[in-house]
Amino acid sequence: MIDKIAFLFAEGFKNFLRNKLTNFLCIITILINFTILGTFFVVGFNTDSLVDFFRSKYTFEIFLNEEVDLKQSNAIVADLEANSAISSVMLIDKEKSADIFLKEFGENVVDMLGYNPLPISLKISLQKDNFDLKKIESLIDEIEGYNFVDSVEYRGAYIDSIESKINLFIFFFLVLVIGIIFISIQMISNTVKLSMSNRSDFIEILQYNGASNMFIKIPFFIESILQSAIGAFIAFLLVNYSFIVINSYFNLNIQVDDVLWAWMIGLSLIVGIYASNRAMKRILL
Amino acid sequence: MVEFKNITYNYSSKSGIYDVDLSIKDDEFCFLVGPTGSGKSTLLKLLYFDLFPDKGDVRVLKYLSSKIKKKDIHRVRKKIGVIFQDYKLLKQRTVYENIALPLHINGIGRKKISNLVNEALELTELSRYSKKFPNELSGGEQQRVCIARAIVKNPDIILADEPTGNLDPTTGHKILRILEQINKEGTCVIMATHNYKLIAEKPYRVIELDQGRVVSE
Repeated sequence: MIDKIAFLFAEGFKNFLRNKLTNFLCIITILINFTILGTFFVVGFNTDSLVDFFRSKYTFEIFLNEEVDLKQSNAIVADLEANSAISSVMLIDKEKSADIFLKEFGENVVDMLGYNPLPISLKISLQKDNFDLKKIESLIDEIEGYNFVDSVEYRGAYIDSIESKINLFIFFFLVLVIGIIFISIQMISNTVKLSMSNRSDFIEILQYNGASNMFIKIPFFIESILQSAIGAFIAFLLVNYSFIVINSYFNLNIQVDDVLWAWMIGLSLIVGIYASNRAMKRILL
Repeated sequence: MVEFKNITYNYSSKSGIYDVDLSIKDDEFCFLVGPTGSGKSTLLKLLYFDLFPDKGDVRVLKYLSSKIKKKDIHRVRKKIGVIFQDYKLLKQRTVYENIALPLHINGIGRKKISNLVNEALELTELSRYSKKFPNELSGGEQQRVCIARAIVKNPDIILADEPTGNLDPTTGHKILRILEQINKEGTCVIMATHNYKLIAEKPYRVIELDQGRVVSE
């Protein structure tokens, strides 16, 4: 049995070296598809950080009634901080509000009016994980109903628009990834079919000598594994190096996932083996 | 060992074989003779399940054509050595590798393969060509490689489809002597030929076919 397995592996490697042209074509096919796919992976990986960045900027501001003093405000802060959708609450007291006014309008409101009319406010930052716009909107409705709240300032429409654009982008991203995987399967499958029909005499001789379908398939699988691994690895090097160049040229900070190579090679092996099996099933019956 | 029970096989061109009833014993040497298109190759193809009868049943060893599944055909073929008129050798492999192929398929160990291939090379007088490629050999030598490949796995049956068809008379006799020797060791040999001269003085059973029917035995 070990001799048989060793023979099949050796056959796979020998066939890989013997059929240089078809293997070269197959590697090029995988290389093109997986370079595109790898680029999408990187874009997808960075979309996550972009979404996180936007969500970290989602805030709303609560303006409290005139009657609410600092002690009551601190109690309200503690209550809000206990809410799981809220990541932090920053209390802006009357003095801080006056400073902000001074910075923004260049006028000291206390000097102008003789008293400080600005209310105490709370700046709420939201949790970026498990972000749920509907829950946040209902939380805001709830807060607006409290008697110590004067008003709530929330850029809901803006956030809604960004969220829907992100969702649309993710949808198209997934469709494109699935499309590329499908195209890869078709192209690899056709290349394997071509390679098998080139070797139909060889397959026929094996069959007349008593080879089972599995015996015939294994060397082709090994060839597919080599093609997929080589094609995907070169594609990874290309994608990785391209983003290093892009980052340095445009002074960007696009991150490449540390395990991108494993994702690309793993997926390419799955696609390669599946496509070969599909091609062989149709030829060997 | 081999049995044809009322076999009919039709090609689309309205040729084929019709109502053939035959039985061939374990250690028999028999010739299938007849003109081109008489159905000799079709009978052999039915024996290694390359074709399946439209009517009747073929029994080869313990396998019946009506019952065998496609995925099990390789099991029968492991026990049959087939010699083709066009040799069907792998052009990119050496003589040694071509002969060793059925042994690899049968899962034999490397050391034993070496011994068995060398025995087959000696029997077919090909030892000095073991490292050559098929296209470096003459037709007769290539046919001997094909015979060596068929016998190396010690099959129960040898099917030879016009093995001397492309060869000169001297080489043809040489090939026939090798097949006789294999038969003497207990292997059933069924040889299709239209070369009546070659088999004229041989003491073996002759099954004559014409237009797909057995006309004499």
